[in-house]
Amino acid sequence: MRPAVLAGLLLGPALLVNLGTFLVPIINLALLSFNEVRPSGGVGPGPTLSTWAILFDDPYYMEIVGNSIGVSVMVTGFTVLAGYPVALFIHRAAARWRNLLVVACISPLLVSAVVRTYGWMVILGDNGIVAAALRGLGMAKAPRMVFNLTGVAIALVEILMPTMILCLLAGFGRLNASVEEAAASLGAPPWRVFLRVVLPLSLPGILLGCLLAFVLTVSSFITPKLLGGGRVILLATEIYDQAIVTLNWPLAAVLSVLSLGVFGLALLLYGRVLRLVEA
Amino acid sequence: MAGTRLVLEGLSKSFAGGPPVVAALSLVVEPGEMLGFLGPSGCGKTTTLRMIGGLTPASAGRVLVDGRDVTALPPHRRDMGIVFQNYALFPHMDVAGNVAFGLEMRGMKRPEIGERVARALDLVQLGHLAKRRPKELSGGQQQRVALARALVIEPSILLLDEPLSNLDAKLREDMRSEIRDIQQRLGITTVFVTHDQAEALALCDRIAVMHGGKIAQLGTPHTIYEHPATEFVADFVGRSNRFSAMAAGGMVTMGALSVRAPGDVRGAATVMIRPHRIALGAAPGGGEWNEATGAIARVTYVGDMLACEVAAGGVTFLVERPTQPGLADPRPGEAATLHWRVSDTLVFPAGGG
Amino acid sequence: MIGKTLHKVLIVLLFAFLLAPVVLVIPMSFSADRFLVWPPSGFSLRWYSALLGETKLMEAARNSLVLALLVTAAALAIGTPAALALGRSRFRGREPLIAVLTAPLLLPTIVLALALLIVFVGYGLIGSWAGLLFAHLLVALPYGIRVLMTAVATLPPAVEEAAASLGAPPRSVFRRVTLPLMMPGVAATAAIVFLVSFDEVVISLFVVGPELTTLPVALFRYVESKTDPLVAAVSALLVLLTLGVVVILERAMGLARAIGR
Repeated sequence: MRPAVLAGLLLGPALLVNLGTFLVPIINLALLSFNEVRPSGGVGPGPTLSTWAILFDDPYYMEIVGNSIGVSVMVTGFTVLAGYPVALFIHRAAARWRNLLVVACISPLLVSAVVRTYGWMVILGDNGIVAAALRGLGMAKAPRMVFNLTGVAIALVEILMPTMILCLLAGFGRLNASVEEAAASLGAPPWRVFLRVVLPLSLPGILLGCLLAFVLTVSSFITPKLLGGGRVILLATEIYDQAIVTLNWPLAAVLSVLSLGVFGLALLLYGRVLRLVEA
Repeated sequence: MAGTRLVLEGLSKSFAGGPPVVAALSLVVEPGEMLGFLGPSGCGKTTTLRMIGGLTPASAGRVLVDGRDVTALPPHRRDMGIVFQNYALFPHMDVAGNVAFGLEMRGMKRPEIGERVARALDLVQLGHLAKRRPKELSGGQQQRVALARALVIEPSILLLDEPLSNLDAKLREDMRSEIRDIQQRLGITTVFVTHDQAEALALCDRIAVMHGGKIAQLGTPHTIYEHPATEFVADFVGRSNRFSAMAAGGMVTMGALSVRAPGDVRGAATVMIRPHRIALGAAPGGGEWNEATGAIARVTYVGDMLACEVAAGGVTFLVERPTQPGLADPRPGEAATLHWRVSDTLVFPAGGG
Repeated sequence: MIGKTLHKVLIVLLFAFLLAPVVLVIPMSFSADRFLVWPPSGFSLRWYSALLGETKLMEAARNSLVLALLVTAAALAIGTPAALALGRSRFRGREPLIAVLTAPLLLPTIVLALALLIVFVGYGLIGSWAGLLFAHLLVALPYGIRVLMTAVATLPPAVEEAAASLGAPPRSVFRRVTLPLMMPGVAATAAIVFLVSFDEVVISLFVVGPELTTLPVALFRYVESKTDPLVAAVSALLVLLTLGVVVILERAMGLARAIGR
């Protein structure tokens, strides 16, 4: 059999699935953003820029975009802070523990987002575990941690930690004990070894982790929806509301293209910074 | 097994329109002969072996086995036994399963397979490890399994791709003689690829020294060593002193020395003299000798020999002398005389390969 | 040294933070209370037995199970040849092809979900088995291909050439050497794809129908309206299921390797 024909047979089904469930629908969605909004819901005629114009006429939507980006940046920052010590610890751990630790970190990824978010509701709820602990410590009334941004942020940081840790670990590949020992032998105390050797070498891993954390937060839906109680409005929840509740598909399509744009910009920024760092 | 004749005609290989990795290589491997392809990495020796075995398609040329053109045949129809550099044992089968594989592909029946596998494992002295998995074996044992697996199918041609390079030095030497014994006992035509010139000299009936995809010299180990055809061969095989010189009519001038040399190279030349063909002391009478005087610069003790650097006439000679109790060792600073046979003065045109 | 102990405490706290939700649903699931209260006034199995009475949840669970099995079978059947073709050959356009095939994993799921919804409505695929199968394949297939490609890459080199040189035609090489050596990778892929499908919620949310829904979607709707320990019971069971699959994955191929880092 000719190699080209064989390749076609082997790759064909996968390509067809990709075409039918991904490429065509996405392109269709992008095109839909150029259709007019029908007040009763559904898709109006097109092509037109009127739906896109809504974005600029009504500041509500750009506010949501700005909000989403802001929250994502904040969550990403906290995730790096929380994930870095853990990743470094695993990297330095003895070989026989390392695998177990990595498995322990990654396993939460395989649990459904609904379960993980619900777990946080159990922990952060008004009658939840944290509230009980705070009351036990003497606090009269525990602060509200659910149905607001605080709870969503905390949960998102935890949900993203495994991914961040994986990226950081991959980035630590450039780091080996000899490099740190060399720095120490040249007179650098531990904190300086960290600042001048460990941190710079792990930068590519940090950048990748930040990119993934940012992108995943911008597009996160389940956690803001459940833990936000309708009060945390991010891009993904707005898309859902416009599409399912208001049945305003063209607007939902516009917001979707917008989120793809944010994602693309994040990718570009990542590439730029990465090149700067690796130079 | 009556030996098979292997002929390579104009075999060439280029990858993706780049420069040729193997260029129009032609040679004949006689029945029962062990022919070595010797050269540095990148010279094309492994690519040539892979073309013979059908693992890499040739860009041009033919491979003929006993007159039959097999160039277009896929590897599973070529009836050649191949021992890979990393052994390529099947990790999911035990030793007996590995060795039996080729026989199963040939449709042999169970009882006969069992018998042949047992015989093949005895040949390499691994009968007691038949049930083990490859990962439980040492490097040397894995190598022997790979050999048994290739031989049990009684192929017409045996191809060995650097089979010893992953073994440590002592084991390598032991395996060398074993492989040679087996090959001669079975009389199987064999192609042996290696970058280790001592190995090639010790094992092969003839050696093809390869350089840049071409054969620099094809000959017996003796010929290759004593009469290297090019500067590259002289340099790659065995150790040499190397001097830039001017040659004219039977004499070469290097530094302030003028010595006699065979051949009729003229003009800028490279002179090579093997260190152990140079002796300290005045030349004995009779015979054709070259002589030079100078002083000992450095003496290094290497256990079985002394490596002496002697500065004479503006150039430095490396002289190797076996260590002998009772014989006074030369000391740095002492005056010294060197002599060597005129016929051991190898002269090549400068800039040659 | 104080610094070292503080550091150790920090690490323990961070690990506890990381595993908190997944672990703490388990004790909550044994709560005897009617609402989510900590600490529970007593422990009982009432919510587990209540589960059995929740017909809608049970039906959704059954649907998720069947769907996950179908998706796993489809992903393996479609993904294995693709991974072999991509992992072995070096042809022009290989890199872009891999990028396109794995792109669904990078884009926001909500966008993928909306895109599918719009197309499905046009073809009447909402709330249908075929629709859900394809919706899950959208993300399960790229995952499967990625894990399988890692498995293909770790096949010992030259082993297939050795088999061919010993007289095995390509069909036999595949059957006797390639496939058996790929088995651990296939097992790992099956485990991951199963979980990906079983846990999938956002896309499913958009394409389920009144007659056909999945467990994560049913849970989502339940939690949207009320929060009681029933979901903790379901969650505890799901966490245990995941644990079992993780063990399979570790034995087969190593979890970290499978996920691709």
